[in-house]
Amino acid sequence: MLDATQASENVASVRDLKVHFQSKRGVVHAVDGVSFDIQDGETLGLVGETGCGKSVTGRSFLRLLPVPPGILAGGAVSFRPHGPCTACEGAGCEACAKTGRRASGDQPVDLLSISLQDMRRIRGDRIAMIFQDPGKALNPTLTIGAQMSEVFLQHRTAELLDRAGLPPDTAGAVRRFAAQEPRFGDGLILKFPPKRGQRAKLQVALNQMVTEALAETQVPNPAKLMDRFPHELSGGMRQRVMIAQALACNPDLLIADEPTTALDVTVEARILELIRALQQRRKTSVLYISHDLSLVRRICDRVAVMYAGRIVEIGTTEDVFANPRHPYTRGLMAAVPTAGTARGKLAAIRGTVPELVDPPLECRFAGRCPYETATCRQNDPSLQPVSGGHSVACFIDHPTGSQDAPSFDRVTE
Amino acid sequence: MSEITDSNFEKASVRDTAFRVRMRRFFGVLQRLTSNPTTVVGLVLIALMLAMAIFAPWITEANTPDAYQMPRDWGAVRKPPGTPGHWLGTTNEGGDVFYGVIWGSRTSLQLSLYVVGSTMVIGTIIGSVAGLVGGWVDEVLMRIVDVFLSIPELIFALAIAAVLGPSFTNIIIALAMVIWVKYARIMRAQVIQIKQNDYVDAARVIGDSKLNIYLKDILPNAVTPVTVQATLDMGNVVLIGATLSFIGLSEAGIAEWGVLVSEGQAGIASGRWWASTFPGLMIFLWALAFNLVGDGLRDALDPRTEGR
Repeated sequence: MLDATQASENVASVRDLKVHFQSKRGVVHAVDGVSFDIQDGETLGLVGETGCGKSVTGRSFLRLLPVPPGILAGGAVSFRPHGPCTACEGAGCEACAKTGRRASGDQPVDLLSISLQDMRRIRGDRIAMIFQDPGKALNPTLTIGAQMSEVFLQHRTAELLDRAGLPPDTAGAVRRFAAQEPRFGDGLILKFPPKRGQRAKLQVALNQMVTEALAETQVPNPAKLMDRFPHELSGGMRQRVMIAQALACNPDLLIADEPTTALDVTVEARILELIRALQQRRKTSVLYISHDLSLVRRICDRVAVMYAGRIVEIGTTEDVFANPRHPYTRGLMAAVPTAGTARGKLAAIRGTVPELVDPPLECRFAGRCPYETATCRQNDPSLQPVSGGHSVACFIDHPTGSQDAPSFDRVTE
Repeated sequence: MSEITDSNFEKASVRDTAFRVRMRRFFGVLQRLTSNPTTVVGLVLIALMLAMAIFAPWITEANTPDAYQMPRDWGAVRKPPGTPGHWLGTTNEGGDVFYGVIWGSRTSLQLSLYVVGSTMVIGTIIGSVAGLVGGWVDEVLMRIVDVFLSIPELIFALAIAAVLGPSFTNIIIALAMVIWVKYARIMRAQVIQIKQNDYVDAARVIGDSKLNIYLKDILPNAVTPVTVQATLDMGNVVLIGATLSFIGLSEAGIAEWGVLVSEGQAGIASGRWWASTFPGLMIFLWALAFNLVGDGLRDALDPRTEGR
């Protein structure tokens, strides 16, 4: 865990998050008491295998849980939106990387308990998300331009009116168009004079904003791209559009849910570079969800390893990769093949992920762990610090005091 | 960023992307539609029958006072086709078969438009509510739909029309009450499937309101099968409507194909085939045309054939 002096620099912190799913066989504890912080401007990698709850954790930031059957069983996700930098009053200084904004302004809000109205204001504006498969995350019936426009209509109405040269107190159908609150018959009003001209000006302003946002992601000819439908684009282009949409409003936090899994390796590298560059320029914090260890090692400042609905190890990338303290993390790293791996020899962690239906009080990794002892079967380890900023949930580093504490020196199988 | 002046706002209206894109899409569907010969046959037939309905007063002079009532020429009963003034012959009661065929297309068009139009709206709304809200609302609505679907269409429509009493309006009401369930079913299935898509989540993620998500992300992606079903029903409704008219659930003596067939069927045994055959042929062609186009539309709108 982070020490107290750093706490104010957290853009978001998750405390004891629990998400359950009701299944026919019982309650599935998909996320079971997860706590971590995302520091301002950092990239936090959330790694784990399929079904360990990493996507559910990421989605809970935006309250995107299928309700029902997903049940928020407890915990809090507090989020501190960026305010003007206290050190320089928005002028831009070293502390805020010349953006003039940092996560020290407003009071934190609990994303799990605020009203839907407040949530909608945060979604897309302060917290954005990039999805795994860009082919499925774009509406096939809308053009790229129309889809990109939505985010501006939703969150940048004032700027839009200003750019279109309309007074900020514009009312009626034009305003409703700019704020995306259409009413029956508005379409007809906006098609004919006197409102037609204002509508056209708004469209020009909107097109400009969309083009600028697309240009940021280095797509060739953004103006032309706007008229295209998603199915006319390649996967990499679609993901660029998603990124452009996600970063359009300068969010404080970006949830990237395996954004390159559906792309091939050459495109992956470019997309990662793009996310990295945009993030560093804007000082956006990123929660990068992935199962690819080598990728996480390359781009993340800190790493949290998830296993069976829990965080088992968290720390800076160097700490975790140089000195993994949890047997699961060790197993994961051993399983990454390198150029020197002999043909036919791929390391694997034995066994499978346990069922999370009413889990018993024991270490979740027991049964797969090569170092397990009777202690691991009787107690549930909690996340405890081993060194500054590096924590692990394992009895090897935090013995309970009983005789048969597990150790890396003793393989029990 | 360039200043928005009136001159480049002129350019903007030329560059009305939404309109151009919509046209591109429309012509794409049209092109795929017309590349299928059977669909073209259907389209031509529909065009001919629509022309017939629209230009009915110019083809045969409207009967007074009520144009939808068959004119009775008691001086020329049971005349065969080719009789001057009665090209397709007359019925037992001196009704002009040609007049019935022409004005019958108007009646049929009214019937199918009213029934399909109203049921499409009702079914879409109810199906959407069931799919979006889910839970017990969905459960209640779908059980009602199940009850409606458990009775055969024709029998159910017949029962309702019989209870309401014989009139053409009642046939429309009866058919509407029977057919809406199909659209509710289709729409619910579509909505449930589409709302699980990532792009709906993506729209929520950018802070869109529920209404906007429904109007922009769910509805446009859900209407394809509803449109196809509506086209098929344009034909089927006339078929069922004619059946109900035939067994006397419509006003006697109106210019309607089913009524005309029933008026002529007494003469078939005595060799006067024409009074039933021509309106019967029209019912057949009408149902066939819309079914051909409906099938073609299903293929043309299928996203998997897009860009082929």
